[in-house]
Amino acid sequence: MGDKILRILKEIVGDEYASADEAVLYPYSFDLTWAKPRMPDYVVLPNTVEDIQRILRLANRERIPVVPYVSGTNIGGLCIPENGGIIMDLKRMNKIIEINTETGYVVVEPGVTHAQLSAALKKEGFTFSWPVGPPAASVLACAINCGIGHLASKFGINAENISSMEVVLPTGEVAKIGSCAFSDSWHSLWPLPQLAGLFIGWLGTTGIVTKLGVWIYDIPPFIKVETVATDNVEDMARWQRAIRRTYVPLDVTAVSWWLAQVPIPHPYVEKPKDAPEWYCFNVLTAWTEKQMDAYVDLFNKIVKEEQQRGSSVRPYPYPEEALKGRTQLPSRIVGTTKNYCGSGVAGLSWPGTFTPASNWPPLYHEWKTILIKHHFSPAVRLTNFQGAHYGMMRAFVPFDKRKVGDPNLRIKGIDNQENARQALLECVEAGVKYGMIPYKPPVDFWSILNRKADPGFISLLTKVKDMLDPNGIMNPGKLGVR
Amino acid sequence: MARLSELEKLRNVIYTCTHCGNCKYFYNWGEKENLFGRNCPSGNYFYFDSYYGSRARSAAAKGLLEGKLEWSEPLVQALFACTTCAACAQQCEVDFKDWIIRTMETLRREAVKAGVGPIARQKAFGEWTLKEHNPYMEKHVDRLAWLPKDIRQKLPETAEYLYFVGCTSSYRQKNIALATTKLLLKLGVDFTISDDEWCCGSPHLRTGQWDIAQEVARHNAELVDRVGAKKVITTCAGCYRTLLADYQQEPPHGYSDILNVGFNKPVIHTIQLIEELIRKGKIELGEYPKKVTYHDPCHLGRHMAPIQGREACYEAPRNVLKSIPKIEFVEMERSREWAWCCGSGGGVKSGFPEMAIQTAVERIKEAESIGAEVLTSVCPFCWRNLDDAIKMTGSNMKMLDITEILLEIVK
Repeated sequence: MGDKILRILKEIVGDEYASADEAVLYPYSFDLTWAKPRMPDYVVLPNTVEDIQRILRLANRERIPVVPYVSGTNIGGLCIPENGGIIMDLKRMNKIIEINTETGYVVVEPGVTHAQLSAALKKEGFTFSWPVGPPAASVLACAINCGIGHLASKFGINAENISSMEVVLPTGEVAKIGSCAFSDSWHSLWPLPQLAGLFIGWLGTTGIVTKLGVWIYDIPPFIKVETVATDNVEDMARWQRAIRRTYVPLDVTAVSWWLAQVPIPHPYVEKPKDAPEWYCFNVLTAWTEKQMDAYVDLFNKIVKEEQQRGSSVRPYPYPEEALKGRTQLPSRIVGTTKNYCGSGVAGLSWPGTFTPASNWPPLYHEWKTILIKHHFSPAVRLTNFQGAHYGMMRAFVPFDKRKVGDPNLRIKGIDNQENARQALLECVEAGVKYGMIPYKPPVDFWSILNRKADPGFISLLTKVKDMLDPNGIMNPGKLGVR
Repeated sequence: MARLSELEKLRNVIYTCTHCGNCKYFYNWGEKENLFGRNCPSGNYFYFDSYYGSRARSAAAKGLLEGKLEWSEPLVQALFACTTCAACAQQCEVDFKDWIIRTMETLRREAVKAGVGPIARQKAFGEWTLKEHNPYMEKHVDRLAWLPKDIRQKLPETAEYLYFVGCTSSYRQKNIALATTKLLLKLGVDFTISDDEWCCGSPHLRTGQWDIAQEVARHNAELVDRVGAKKVITTCAGCYRTLLADYQQEPPHGYSDILNVGFNKPVIHTIQLIEELIRKGKIELGEYPKKVTYHDPCHLGRHMAPIQGREACYEAPRNVLKSIPKIEFVEMERSREWAWCCGSGGGVKSGFPEMAIQTAVERIKEAESIGAEVLTSVCPFCWRNLDDAIKMTGSNMKMLDITEILLEIVK
């Protein structure tokens, strides 16, 4: 059977682009997270939409799981093949199909990386919303899985910037969604029925998105990063509420002292007594010097007003390397590398969540207690999305993946990986009561989330999944249902 | 499974690899432009993650150390299909960075110890080296066959510099050996050449055949003393790295822990000496009215710049070229630390000839895209592979070592 499947896969993509060799499969069996490594049975590298259709028809016929994959650098274990099957590595499909500076969108294939697109767009004076993830990660995968970028405070998460898409269903049919379904223009999902929602936030469980249109933005000539600090999370959350009302900054992001360190201290160390607990960078952009001066005046005015209300907020320098890492994007310093897990020894995971801003302070206090108890730094980030409406709260937890008994373990005498898992599950338990919703979540989070979920939501989710993927082949296990 | 004693020593650095994938592409943020480009010859050729960047090799190392991977032909292929060009190390931002090349070569060492490596043709050049002291299946007695008698007679018994010619220039790129010799003579450099030079050991270190490297290193260290030279000069980037870093430096940059030859003589690349002479006004150059670009050899650039500095390893050849009257010097987009590898290093030219040539073809196309008439470098091994690609693609571009250009125009 195995030989037969491999033979067909090779017929589809060519001998050199399909494999069932253990040594080839192995790097696809694990990632940075605590997700239990699982070996795929095959890895295949399609080059065209037709290749993908044929692979999915085969998988559907033979009931073989298919896991879409580009770089595997998410920190939710999303590309780990829970039930084996085929890793569909899409990195050969790496063309930037269109850069439309007039209407302001690009069309990319799944293998296009943030590094690649940023280089192409900057030449044109444009930008997309770059995440602080690895530059080698996929633009398309980040967007359809609700990743965020540096424009999120003003223009929303990357999924909100999707303008059209092409998708191959698990049963092999191809569909275009949005304006591209009617013309060659990939400018808008609206005002059509929101079919894109069948593939956004589904973690690759409903089909393979083969082309994606996303909105791009002009790079203004004047950019200034104003940084403030506060002594506590309450003052920081209040600062973010105050500044976000203006809809002026492109990015309003606060990080705890521990996340501002490069790398995050691990195991936990106490913050120096004279250092602020929270830092915030506020990215101001303008088209004229006068406009920038006005924004800076506004910024200073808000600082003063907050101080008059008794806030500890004050202008404060942001640690230099961390600032570069967060404003010179995409960045090799942040992402899953030097900043986040330089101290962790191979492991990284998170509760990355969308949490109402009103609940950031109480949840931060709970997370801080939990993380310190487990010897982790409370390396927490708060970012406003779309101005005032919602926001992100997440903690980065680097950990040591070496085996128990290794004399060099960062936290001696315990299973460091299991300790990280337990800590983050406790963080999720704490968060759900504050309206927290994890994004790109590890599979382990779902048992907590689905307990809390509206039964009607679960029922509808299941029905839609079954309709699109009747044989349950697409990335099974990642949604906590099916 | 045989004990992975060498790999075990690196366990802690291997685990600092975060699997982030920075290593898979060239990328650098810039004020006006961001740099992006392909960087990994093996990943670019084979595409599977098991071939891509240092992440692939750290994954293999973890798999072996944890007993999750067994030696197999596909594993050996993936480990040896790497030019060890260090482009991945250039991108890496974690503590693994400096140890990446040593880890890759240690994996190969373990394959050799386990009897599953190296690739057959690499094993053959290793065995030949034990007999005839070169990896080119040539006779040791023919090492100086390229050197005309009249020139040989001019060379002193002992001198300030020993010109360590290297196997590629001695047996294949004789044009470079001859141009270098004539140039050094023209410039009045006090140097000599030995007929008892052995392979520097680079191909053996790179392919896990460390016991052979030990033997040739011991011989060469003694040879320099025997000749009575105070310094060594090379035209080969591979020899340069090996004699200066591998013979003399502790890990992660060198192999003094394995080779243990106590060699500590200054080693200089020809291009560095020439640059110094130009700076001191001791060379007068004629015109060279051509559009020329320069290919950075990995062994001079990325491998040595962390030890010897950017000026010596990236700027010296450029300064020489830019000092030539009427030359139009143009840069490829991927240059200096971001240079695309020629494709021949790390045993790949012998073990994976098709991958080697395709990698070189990509470089040729890059040089052609900026309109270069002449592609230069300062490594005979790069020269050979790039010239092979020029011939294969029917390109009109000409491959020349910088010494060949200089010989033509030095007054």
